Amino acid sequence: MTTPLTLTPGRRPDGTALLTAVGEIDMSNTGVLAAALAGTDGPLVLDLTGVEYLDSAGISVLFPHADRIELVANPLLEPVLTISGLTELTTVHGT
Amino acid sequence: MVGRDLALVDWAATTPLGDPEGWPQSLKTTVSILLSSKFSMWMAWGPELTFFCNAAYRRDTLGRKYPWALGRPANEVWAEIWDDIGPRIDTVLTTGEATWDQALLLFVERSGYPEESYHTFSYSPLRDDAGHVVGMLCVVSEETDRVIGERRMATLRDLGSDPSVVRTEQEMLDFARLQLSRNPHDLPFTLTYLFHEDGGAALAAATGIREDHPAAVDRLPAGSETVWPTAAPARGESALVPLDGAVFADLPTGERPEVPLQAMVVPLRQQGGAPYGFMVVGLNRYRDLDDGYRGFVELVAGHVATGVASARSYQAQQRRAEELAELDRAKTAFFSNISHEFRTPLTLIMGPVEELRERLTDADAGVREELEVVHRNGLRLGKLVNTLLDFSRIEVGRMQAGYEPVDLAVVTGELASVFRSAVDRAGLDFRVDCPPLPEAVFIDRSMWEKVVLNLLSNALKFTFDGSIGIAVGAEDGAAVVTVVDTGIGVAAQEMPRLFERFHRIENARSRSNEGSGIGLALVRELVGLHGGEISATSTEGHGTRFTIRLPFGSAHLPADAVLPEADTGAAPFATDPFVQEALRWLPGERTAATPAAVTDIEEGIDGPTHGPALPVHVLVADDNADMREYLSRLLLGAGYQVSTVNDGRQALGAVRAKAFDLVVSDVMMPHLDGLALVAALRADPRTASVPVLLLSARAGQEASIEGLQAGADDYLVKPFAAAELLARVRANIELARLRNHHARWRTALVDSLQEAFFVCDEDGAVIEINAAFTDILGYGPEGLPYRPTHPWWPDARTDSEAHRQVGEAFALLLGSTKGSYTIPITHRDGHRLWATATFNQVDDPDTGRRVTVGTFRDVTAEHYAIQRESALAALGTCLSRATSVPEALAGALDELKKLWRARSVLAAVFDHGDVPTLTSTDASPAWQELPAARRGTLEDLRQGPILTPVADHTGAGILLEFPEGPLVLWMDLGENRPFTGEDQLLLSLLAGHLAQGLNRAHQFDQQRETAIALQRAILGPSRLPDGFAVRYEPATQPLEVGGDWYDTVTLPDGRIGIVVGDCVGRGLEAASVMGQLRSACRALLLQDASPAQTLMALDQFAAGVPGAICTTVFCGVLNSETGQLTYSSAGHPPGILVRPDGVTRLLEDGRSLPLAVRPGNQRPEGSCTIPARSTLLLYTDGLVERRRRPLSVGIDQASEALQDGRDTSVDDLATHVMSRLAPVDGYDDDVALLLYRHPAPLEMSFPAESSQLAPVRKTLRGWLAQCDLPPTTVQNVLVAAGEACANAIEHGHRDAPGDTIYFRAEAYVDNLHLTIADTGRWKAPQPELDIHRGRGMGLMRALMQQVTITPGPSGTTVDMHTRIA
Repeated sequence: MTTPLTLTPGRRPDGTALLTAVGEIDMSNTGVLAAALAGTDGPLVLDLTGVEYLDSAGISVLFPHADRIELVANPLLEPVLTISGLTELTTVHGT
Repeated sequence: MVGRDLALVDWAATTPLGDPEGWPQSLKTTVSILLSSKFSMWMAWGPELTFFCNAAYRRDTLGRKYPWALGRPANEVWAEIWDDIGPRIDTVLTTGEATWDQALLLFVERSGYPEESYHTFSYSPLRDDAGHVVGMLCVVSEETDRVIGERRMATLRDLGSDPSVVRTEQEMLDFARLQLSRNPHDLPFTLTYLFHEDGGAALAAATGIREDHPAAVDRLPAGSETVWPTAAPARGESALVPLDGAVFADLPTGERPEVPLQAMVVPLRQQGGAPYGFMVVGLNRYRDLDDGYRGFVELVAGHVATGVASARSYQAQQRRAEELAELDRAKTAFFSNISHEFRTPLTLIMGPVEELRERLTDADAGVREELEVVHRNGLRLGKLVNTLLDFSRIEVGRMQAGYEPVDLAVVTGELASVFRSAVDRAGLDFRVDCPPLPEAVFIDRSMWEKVVLNLLSNALKFTFDGSIGIAVGAEDGAAVVTVVDTGIGVAAQEMPRLFERFHRIENARSRSNEGSGIGLALVRELVGLHGGEISATSTEGHGTRFTIRLPFGSAHLPADAVLPEADTGAAPFATDPFVQEALRWLPGERTAATPAAVTDIEEGIDGPTHGPALPVHVLVADDNADMREYLSRLLLGAGYQVSTVNDGRQALGAVRAKAFDLVVSDVMMPHLDGLALVAALRADPRTASVPVLLLSARAGQEASIEGLQAGADDYLVKPFAAAELLARVRANIELARLRNHHARWRTALVDSLQEAFFVCDEDGAVIEINAAFTDILGYGPEGLPYRPTHPWWPDARTDSEAHRQVGEAFALLLGSTKGSYTIPITHRDGHRLWATATFNQVDDPDTGRRVTVGTFRDVTAEHYAIQRESALAALGTCLSRATSVPEALAGALDELKKLWRARSVLAAVFDHGDVPTLTSTDASPAWQELPAARRGTLEDLRQGPILTPVADHTGAGILLEFPEGPLVLWMDLGENRPFTGEDQLLLSLLAGHLAQGLNRAHQFDQQRETAIALQRAILGPSRLPDGFAVRYEPATQPLEVGGDWYDTVTLPDGRIGIVVGDCVGRGLEAASVMGQLRSACRALLLQDASPAQTLMALDQFAAGVPGAICTTVFCGVLNSETGQLTYSSAGHPPGILVRPDGVTRLLEDGRSLPLAVRPGNQRPEGSCTIPARSTLLLYTDGLVERRRRPLSVGIDQASEALQDGRDTSVDDLATHVMSRLAPVDGYDDDVALLLYRHPAPLEMSFPAESSQLAPVRKTLRGWLAQCDLPPTTVQNVLVAAGEACANAIEHGHRDAPGDTIYFRAEAYVDNLHLTIADTGRWKAPQPELDIHRGRGMGLMRALMQQVTITPGPSGTTVDMHTRIA
């Protein structure tokens, strides 16, 4: 059984590609996220507002795309994003 | 499991209940309750009482009968006990009322043999759908272990309860026999055999079996295998003997239906030696010979073996004591004989002296004076001899007494009156208050006189101003006589020894130094013969009061010594010596020390013209043999005694060794010439007055003047006429006699002293001694002067301590005007003496120089007697205080070290093999670290005889018996310290005492261990729910288990029952009540009762159990998820709840009376929520209650201890609280304690698969919510834990997915601890994964305060801590 996670692609009002994630992200389901990210091209906003758990396995999937993504995340995830150094490469918006 | 087996039963075919589908609802419900209950139950239903049971019952009780029993009629299942339980079941079925049985004995066959078992159970009715009773339900708890454990514990306790400490072997065996016979269940019969020297064994005691039974055979030859094997126990091994064969027919059954099938033969082991014997124990056939039974039998045999050891060692001690007593008797006999021998010559002296005093009333004053001196001293000596004789008569019980009725006031008043003149002359007030008494007192007049006169003379001796009083009165049916003085009093530390024989108080100021120290001792003996008592009170510097109580009448006296009426004619006859002696102390009387005028004595010397009548001794010193011969011939011819020497040096030695009346010396001699001889003689005060006549060949005025200047008395020039020489000799002797009369008299006096007498000059050199000095110390006058350091001082090198003592005393002598001290000295032949020296400084009237005169009294025997007595007392105190063997041993070693001022004392116990266990007053060394020579000495001692001291130039040692093996003591005394015969005697006495003391302590240890093990076996659940910690500690002293208990009961729905209780009293009775209450309370909680209901039901139960009333109980039910606690307290001290912020709350609601005080009353209930990370403490009063201190102080202390331990695990916290609150000497009441911290730690294990991460996280999230943490902390913990788990899955189990990962989280008050452990092996690094994992590690370290990763061969463990903000 993998950890529940739903990924919904979409567009921002400004036309930027948007991927909305809801659930938890750990090593059991990073493959799904990695595939979703790989399926997009160019700038992407990844909305993690609905993600309650994110660990280093998830972060590792985000790093290869750091240059082209922006994150929207709830404050609970902030320590993980900061400690991993991702915030130095990527813009993170609070909710 | 049971459900599945029930399903296999063919109900329709084999039971009247039919197919389960068709069972009534009531039966279905009951069966499901039965199956789901964790408490042991069985039930019977329907016309055949068809049997059902649950898993707990199967496990605890049913044994091999499962699954056969399911669906059978109950009377078939329990056929063997149906006689017991059938009637009870009938009662339930017919009356519909429940039954209750406590610890009922049932012989069940569930293990392949009829087994003695005990069950506490209730039968309650079961009703069908229509409400008719159709069956019964039994809720049961098996109590076999408890009942049998208590029974065995009682036997062991009783065996160890003998109040007499030491006794004979037979008494010990009799006592053991009595105790063993009281437990026929575990010990159907016992036979105790003791080995004899020939290797055979003889029956010493038997229980449970007739003495004429063939199995109780009297003697077993060595190596015999018939009836009982002797070879195995002789080797120290146990053996099992099957009891078949004719000899074992008709054995006792031990109050059971059938005879034992086996017996166990157990050796009575002797530590470090062959067994004393063995014990045959018939075994209860209804119990398995398991470890517990075997251990019990071994302990019983161990007890008896220890008893034998103790009795034998006591016997050895007893023999030694008897030998010493015999020596004492011999001394007394000798004393009494010699005293008798004194009486005849004394009589022959005193008779003529009395006569002379009367005849010479007109003689001149000098003669009268001397007669008085003789008379007084005769009286004094007579008094002393009479007192000694009194003592020996009392000692052998031959004091001839005649008790006559008198008015004690009159007799005492008369006696007092004879002392009036002496008291008046002393200038003291004499108060005599003797009004007539209402009743007669029976006294022996002569004894009573001694009592009163001794006390009065004692008072006078020590009173210098104020008053002396004597009073007679009546009080509480007795006559009371008091003698009071305002004298110097007695120091408090001397009071206990005041009445001791020969005890004198040193340095007391008194009118006289005379006295033997036996007056008061005699007084006490005499008062005792009168059936009375004497006591003394005293204040130093203020005076002393002696109080004598004598009963009225004669009932307390031996009838044959009671005279019908008073002999009125008898007058006091023994007062003279006392009064005479007292008067002599007082001013105005001449004393013996100032002799009468010299002229009187002079008349006794014959006129010199007729030649000497007394032998006159002349020393001739000349190197010329012819001259020596000539002079000798001349002088001998004139009637002188003559000694000759060859030179001045010899002459000097001769004069110092013996008093000569004249020295005739040549001037010219080798070594020391005549002039130098004169100078040397004059320089020594002892020889200064010896007259010297010098002979010289040198004529002329100058030579003569030179000689006279040197101090010669006369000078004669050779050749001389014989007549002239004799004339000069005679003249000089005559002159010297005149001159020296005084000195001679003094010398004679001094030599007659019994004590060693000496004179020291200002530098401390001994310049004069008497004959007794030589007798006592071995040093004669020939060695004078003895300059310090004196040769009798102990050797500074080998006996520095004694040397130091003498040095200090010597400094005192030089620095003070008078004093007294007791010192060790070394006799010339090397043996050790103890002497009391008394000294005074005086001015030498001849020279004006200050000298010190003193005496030595030999007190060696006294010294060692006192030393022995106090050493034994000190050791005794130290042993009686010790509560364990190590403590006793350590204390004893310290005492020995102190006593001998040893460098160190070592005890080596050869408890197993050749490497002993060492204990030392220094840091205990290891055996191999000891010097080889010392190891050898200890080995030799171990092989030698017991209690026989061995000494060498480094120290002394001894071997003693010790329960754990031979014990060798060694005292390191330093090089060449003397270890005398007295030391050896003392060491063997102390070692004997020590052996006994250690034996006692050893028994105490064993009893303590046994008691605690058994109490713990009765107590508490074997597995506690998570989050709990418990402790039980018995009272330290006296060692007894008690009635305190704790309990936790796991209930459905995550609830936990908590009980802490305290039965009144101690000992086995309390423990037994405790066991019953605990079982009952547990059963009630399992039936889902609330705390208040539980306690109310327990009220009813306790009312029926003797000793259970007034038990206090705290009973609570905790919801371990929410922390909700409902509770009720039956008079129990309040629980303490400490919140994480440090606020303490007492659980004081729900409180009511102790159990069974008002059964039937409603009980209140309290409730509270235990906040996250709070700690709950429940306890019994022993934890907090101390004498003279309010309970609240103890509760505050407990709260503080909880606070201090906020960051320790709950188990460590329990240890911390117990040790923090323990009084210095240990708990004096038993203590039970129960701790809970909410929430309980989270523990889980899961397979190493990534799909497990989400559910694990969910559980952790739920637990963290119980911990009441801030959201960020929760998130941090989740991520860190997630990373650790992911790590374990990826690294640890990459090649073995699905292996188990163990996860644990525990909340302390301010800290959270996480542990994640896997069982896999971490693979070699993989760069790609490692970047990723490195990131995970980074997160863990950043999110947690502390991360520790411990790789190991069996897996990797990650520990993480974080502080809770």
